[in-house]
Amino acid sequence: MFRTLLKPFTRFFEFHAKTHYRAERHSMALSVGIILAAGVGGFIEIAPLFTIDDTVEADPDMRLYTPLEQAGRDIYIREGCYACHSQMIRTLQDDVDRYGPYSLAVESKYDHPMLWGSKRTGPDLARVGEKYSDDWQVRHLVDPRALVPESVMPQYAFLLDTALETDSLPGRLAALRAVGVPYTDDQIGSAASDALGQALPDTERADGVLDRYGDETNVRIFDGRSDRLTEMDALVAYLQILGGLTDLPTKTQPARGEE
Amino acid sequence: MSVKERDPLSGHETTGHEWNGITELNTRVPRAVWFFIAVTHIWALVYWVLMPAWPLVTTYTKGLLGYDDRERIKQQVLTADAEQAEWTRALATLPAEEIRQDAVLMARVEQTAPALYGDSCAACHGSDAAGGPGFPSLVDGAWLWGGDAGTIMETLRVGINAPHPESRWAQMLAFGETGILTRPQIRTVVDYVQSLSGLDTEAAPDRLAEGETIFAENCASCHGENAKGIQELGAPNLTDDFWIYGGDDASMFTTINLGRQGWMPAWEDRLTVAERMALTLYIQDLGAEQGE
Amino acid sequence: MMNRLTTGERQAAMVLSGMVALAGFAMAIVGRGDPMGVHGWITLIFAGVLFFLVGNVLYGPEPTEDRSASYYDDPTKVGILLSLFWAVVGMGMGVWVAAQLAWPELRFDAAWSSFGRIRPVHTSGVIFGFGGNALIATSFHIMQRTSRARLAGHISPWFVLLGFNLFCIIAASGYLMGVTQSKEYAEPEWYADIWLVIVWVVYFVLYIRTLARRNEPHIYVANWYYLAFILVVAVLHIVNNLAVPASFGAAKSYSAFSGVQDAMTQWWYGHNAVAFFLTAGFLGMLYYFLPKRAERPIYSYRLSILSFWGIVFFYIWAGSHHLHYTAIPQWVQTLGMTFSVMLLVPSWASAGNALMTLNGAWHKVRDDATLRFMMVAAVFYGLSTFEGSFMAIRPVNSLSHYTDWTVGHVHAGAMGWVALITFGSIYAVVPVLWRKETMYSWKLVEWHFWLALAGTVIYVFAMWNSGITQGLMWRTYTESGSLAYSFTDTLVAMHPYYIARMIGGALFFAGAVIGAFNVVMTIRSAGHQAPQLDYPTGSEANEPAVPAAE
Ligand code: HEC
Ligand code: HEC
Ligand code: HEC
Ligand code: HEM
Ligand code: HEM
Ligand SMILES: [Ca+2]
Ligand SMILES: [Ca+2]
Ligand SMILES: [Cu+2]
Repeated sequence: MFRTLLKPFTRFFEFHAKTHYRAERHSMALSVGIILAAGVGGFIEIAPLFTIDDTVEADPDMRLYTPLEQAGRDIYIREGCYACHSQMIRTLQDDVDRYGPYSLAVESKYDHPMLWGSKRTGPDLARVGEKYSDDWQVRHLVDPRALVPESVMPQYAFLLDTALETDSLPGRLAALRAVGVPYTDDQIGSAASDALGQALPDTERADGVLDRYGDETNVRIFDGRSDRLTEMDALVAYLQILGGLTDLPTKTQPARGEE
Repeated sequence: MSVKERDPLSGHETTGHEWNGITELNTRVPRAVWFFIAVTHIWALVYWVLMPAWPLVTTYTKGLLGYDDRERIKQQVLTADAEQAEWTRALATLPAEEIRQDAVLMARVEQTAPALYGDSCAACHGSDAAGGPGFPSLVDGAWLWGGDAGTIMETLRVGINAPHPESRWAQMLAFGETGILTRPQIRTVVDYVQSLSGLDTEAAPDRLAEGETIFAENCASCHGENAKGIQELGAPNLTDDFWIYGGDDASMFTTINLGRQGWMPAWEDRLTVAERMALTLYIQDLGAEQGE
Repeated sequence: MMNRLTTGERQAAMVLSGMVALAGFAMAIVGRGDPMGVHGWITLIFAGVLFFLVGNVLYGPEPTEDRSASYYDDPTKVGILLSLFWAVVGMGMGVWVAAQLAWPELRFDAAWSSFGRIRPVHTSGVIFGFGGNALIATSFHIMQRTSRARLAGHISPWFVLLGFNLFCIIAASGYLMGVTQSKEYAEPEWYADIWLVIVWVVYFVLYIRTLARRNEPHIYVANWYYLAFILVVAVLHIVNNLAVPASFGAAKSYSAFSGVQDAMTQWWYGHNAVAFFLTAGFLGMLYYFLPKRAERPIYSYRLSILSFWGIVFFYIWAGSHHLHYTAIPQWVQTLGMTFSVMLLVPSWASAGNALMTLNGAWHKVRDDATLRFMMVAAVFYGLSTFEGSFMAIRPVNSLSHYTDWTVGHVHAGAMGWVALITFGSIYAVVPVLWRKETMYSWKLVEWHFWLALAGTVIYVFAMWNSGITQGLMWRTYTESGSLAYSFTDTLVAMHPYYIARMIGGALFFAGAVIGAFNVVMTIRSAGHQAPQLDYPTGSEANEPAVPAAE
C-alpha cells in the first residue's frame, strides 16, 4: 500500500530528474527555476499580511510617539538594546504572568522597524513604561549593577552628558510619515521644539507638546537635570511610554485575579 | 558526453560526467528518504486541515479544530485564576491579621511573594529589601507612611508621587533653590538635624540653637515639632538613624537645597490585590526577621 | 599580481576606484558631522589606496602568456586571506562578546565598546567577513574548475571581492559608531545596502558569464548551490532593506514596513540568510571539496537533485518559526512550523549524501584532518538542521525561544558546520592555489581540528544547558500557581555557563589563529613547487592532461 501511495511522488520525481538532466545545462533555466521555487513561499506568507484585515487590530485611539520618544527609540536602536531585550509578550501563560497582557499587532503598528527581538538576555520591555521611576531608569542606565548587582547589562553613563541632537527630528518624522505614520505638518514642523518642551514641563513649549500629542503625554524632566536636553531624556521618555500607546490589550484581555 | 561507468566499490553507475576529477553516482534515492517525505508531508497535511493554515486573499483557512492561540491563553488565564480563587480571594478580602493566623494561606504567601518581589520591587528596594540611596529600606521599621498592612497596601496600590490619579503625594521642598534659605542657613540646619540623631556632636550650642529656630520655622510643619516625622504627610522621622538619601553633610545639604520627591510606582494595574497583600505580608515579615 | 592585467584593464580599474573614491568624498561632504561622513572618508581612503596601487604599475609590462589557457586565481587567493583575517577579527570579537556576558565590566568606558554595539561586529564579522569572503573566493575557484573556463573578466572579480569587503568594513565600523537598522543580519544602513546591491549584481553577471563560457556540458551541483546563494540573497537583501532615509546626509533610515509585516519580512530574510548564505553557499563548498579530497564520486546525483530543490523550495517558508506565539497571525506560524519539519528531509538528504560519499574513504578521514574537518562539518550540518526543525515545532519553541538554546543551535550550525567546512576547504585549496605540495604543517591542522571540535562542543553544550535551564526557570510555577523564579534568579543560574561558553569560544578562536598562521607560513615557505593539478581550460578533450589529484 505504501508503495502505491508513493507511486505518484516517485513518478513525478523520475520526470523531474529527467527534465533536470536537460535543464541543468542552461544557467538561465536554472536561475529562473531557483527564483520561482524560492519566490512562492515568501509571497504567500508576506502579501496576505497586508490584505487580511484582522491581521492588525483596529484602534483609532492609538497614540503616536512624540519627537522626544522617537529620538529615544532611535537611541535604543543605536545602542543595540534589542540584542538583549525583547518587546513581544507571547501568548504563553508564563509570559503573561511575568510581563502582563500579551502584545497585540496594533501596538507596533507605528514601529518602523519593529523591535520584537529574538533574545531575552534581559527582561522583556514591552510594558516597562511607568514600571519604574524616571530616576530609577536614569540611575540604572548609568550603572545597572549599582541597583541590580547580578545584572550583566552595560552601563550607559555617557547618555547623561550627551546633548540630544534635535535638528534632524523634522526630517526623521517626515521620513516616518513617508512610510505611513500619520504625523501632521504641524507635528513635523515643531518636532525640535516639542522634543525640548517635553522635558521642560514649566515652559510654553510644553503646552505645545500637550496640544499636539494629547494631555496624556508624559511631560517631565526625565533625566533629572533641567539645564540641558540630553540623550538620557529621550531614552527614558521612550522607555516610559513602552506599553502605553494604547490600552487595547488591557481592555480586550481578561484581567488576572478577577476570576 | 563520456560513457557511463560503474563505481567498482559500490557497483552503482555514474552519470557519465566529470568535473575536474569529480564524478557522481546515479544511485537511486534511498527508500528511507521517500518514507520520511511521506511521513512529514502527511503530518503537514493533517495539521493544515485541523489548524489555521492557508491564507486566502482577505481571510485564511481556520482549521477544523477551531483552535485559536488567543482563545487558548484566555482560557488558561481564567482557569488558573479559578484554581487559585480560593486563596487569592481570601488574601484579597481578609484582614492581614487573620491571614497570618492561617498557615495554609501563609504558605501561599511564602511561595508567591519572593519571585514577585524579585521581578517588581528588588530593582529599587534591593533583593534584601534593605533599600539603597534614594530608595527606602523596607525592613528598618522606619516608615514614611506607616508600616501597618492597610497603609502598605494603599501605598502599593497608588504609589508615591506616581502617575496614578490617587497617588500619595509628598515633597521635600527645595529650600535653597527657591531662595527660602541661604546656603549658610542650610548648613546650620543640617548640623542641627544631624545632632538630633547623634550624628553631629561637635557643633557649637549657639549654632544648634540657630538651627533649631530655622527648623521650627521651616521644617516642623512637615517633620513635626520634635522632628519625628508626620506619617500623614509622608515626611520622614529625622531623629532616627535611617536615611533614604544619606545622613552625611553633602547628601543632606542636597536634600534641603534641591528638595526631594521620591517616586514609588503604583501597582494597581500590574499586581492583583492578592499579590499586593502577599507582598505586604512578605515585607512585614522580612522586617520582623531583621528587626530582631 | 598586476602583471596579469592589461594596461587597458589597469586603466579601467583606476577609473572605477577613482569613481568610488569620488563617491566617498561626496559622502564625506554631505555627511559631515554624522557617522555617514566617517564612512565617506573610509570609502575615500579604501578606493584611494587601490587607485594608487594600480596607478603605480599602470605602464608596467603587459601580460605575455595566453591568459585564457589558465585559471585566474589571484582574486581567490586574496579572498582566502581576507576570509582568514575576518575570521580572526570576528571570532576574537565573539570571545569578547561572550566575556562581557560573564563579566560585564570587561569593556572600555566608551560607548563603542558596549555589548549592543560589538555583538553585531561579531555576527557580521563572522557571517559576512569570514563566511562571505570564503564563499566568494571558493565560488571563483570552483566555478572555473567545474566549468573548465577562466573567469569572465579581470576587473569584475576584484570589484566583487573588494567591493564586498568595503561593505563589511562599513558595516563593522558603523556598528561601533551606533549605525544600525536593528534588523538582525541586515543591520547596515541604507547607503551600505545600496552599495551591496551593486556589488551583488556584478557578482551574478560574472557568475553567469563564466558559466556561459564553460567547457563542460553540464553544470555541476556545487554551482547550483552558489547560484541559488547569489540569486536569493539578492532578492532577500533588496526586499528586507527597503527603507526611507531620514536625510540623504545621515546614516539613519526607517524601514518601509512596520510591526507585523516588518517582523515577517525580517525573519523571512533572517531565516533565509541562514538558508542561502550559511547553508546553500557552503553546501556548494562541500560538494566540491569533499569528493575531491576523498577522491570518491558523489554518492547520488538523484539525491542531489532532491535535496537541492527541496532546500530552495522549503526553506523560504520557514521564516515564521522565529515568530511563534507572537502577534503574527497563527496561520503564518502554522506554515512556518510545518515547512520547517518538511525541510528536514532535504537537509538530511544532503548531509547523508555527503557522508555516504565518504564510503570507501573512511581511512582517509581518519588520517587526514582536512577531510575530517569536512566530515565533521557534514555531521554538524545534520545535527543543527535536525535541531532547527525540532525547535520550529511550536511547543518546543515556546521553551527555546528567547533563550540561549537558540544561541547554542546557531553555533552548532555556525561553528560546527559553516566554520568547519570553510576551514576544511581552505586547507584543501591553499596548496592548490599557491602550488605547494602540502600545508606548512599538518600537525597544526590537526591541532586546529581538535581545538575547533572541543571549542564547538563546549560552547554548544554550555548553551544547551543554559538555554534549557533558563527556559524552564521562566516557566516554573509553585504549587500555588505563581511563578517560582524572578528574572534575576535566572541571571545567577546562567553565570557558570557563560564562563564555559567563553572558554569554548576561546579554544575555537585559538584554532582559527593557528589556521591563519599555518596558511601564511604555507604561502611563505619555499617548499616544493607542485605542478598545477587542475584540468586545463579551453580544451574540449575529456581526458585530463594531468591526473586529477589535489
Ligand atoms: C548585555 C545585555 C543587555 C543590554 C545590551 C541591555 N540590557 Fe537592559 N537589562 C539587561 C539585564 C540582564 C537586565 C536585568 C537586570 C537589571 O535590571 O539590570 C536588564 C534590565 C533592563 C531594564 C529593567 C527591566 C525590568 O523590567 O526590570 C530596562 C528598562 C533596561 N534593561 C533597558 C535597557 C536599555 C534602554 C538598553 C540599551 C540602551 C539596555 N537595557 C541594554 C541586559 C541588557
Ligand atoms: C522605581 C522604584 C521602586 C520600585 C520598583 C518599588 N518601589 Fe517602593 N518605593 C520607592 C521609593 C522611591 C519609595 C519612597 C518614596 C518617597 O521617598 O517618598 C518607596 C516606598 C515604598 C513603601 C513605603 C515605605 C514607607 O516607609 O512608607 C513601600 C511599602 C514600598 N515602597 C514597597 C514596595 C513594594 C512592595 C514594591 C514592589 C511591588 C516596590 N516598593 C517597588 C521606589 C520603588
Ligand atoms: C512640605 C513638607 C516638608 C517640609 C516643609 C520639609 N520637609 Fe523634609 N521631607 C519632606 C518629605 C515628604 C521628605 C521625604 C522625601 C522623599 O523621600 O521623597 C523629606 C525628607 C527630608 C530629609 C531626608 C530624609 C532621609 O531619609 O534621607 C531631610 C534630611 C529633611 N527632609 C529635612 C528637612 C529640613 C531640614 C527641612 C526644613 C528646612 C524640611 N525637611 C522641610 C517634607 C518636608
Ligand atoms: C570564537 C568563536 C565564537 C564565539 C566566542 C562566539 C560568541 C558569540 C556570542 C557571545 C554571541 C551572542 C549571544 C547572545 O547574544 O547571547 C554570539 C552570537 C552569534 N554568533 Fe557567535 N561566536 C563564535 C563563533 C561564531 C561563528 C564562527 C559564527 C558564524 C559563522 C557565529 C555566528 C553568530 C551568530 C549568527 C550570532 C547571533 C545569534 C542570535 O542572534 O541568536 N559565531 N556569538
Ligand atoms: C532545517 C534547518 C533549520 C531549521 C528548521 C532551523 C530552525 C531554527 C529555529 C526554529 C530557530 C529559533 C528561532 C527562535 O526561536 O527565535 C533558529 C534560529 C537560528 N538558526 Fe536555525 N534552523 C535550521 C538550520 C540552521 C543552520 C544550518 C544554521 C547555521 C548555520 C542556522 C542558524 C540559525 C541562526 C543564526 C538562528 C538565530 C536567529 C536569530 O537571530 O534569532 N539554522 N533556527
Ligand atoms: Ca538573534
Ligand atoms: Ca540593512
Ligand atoms: Cu530560522
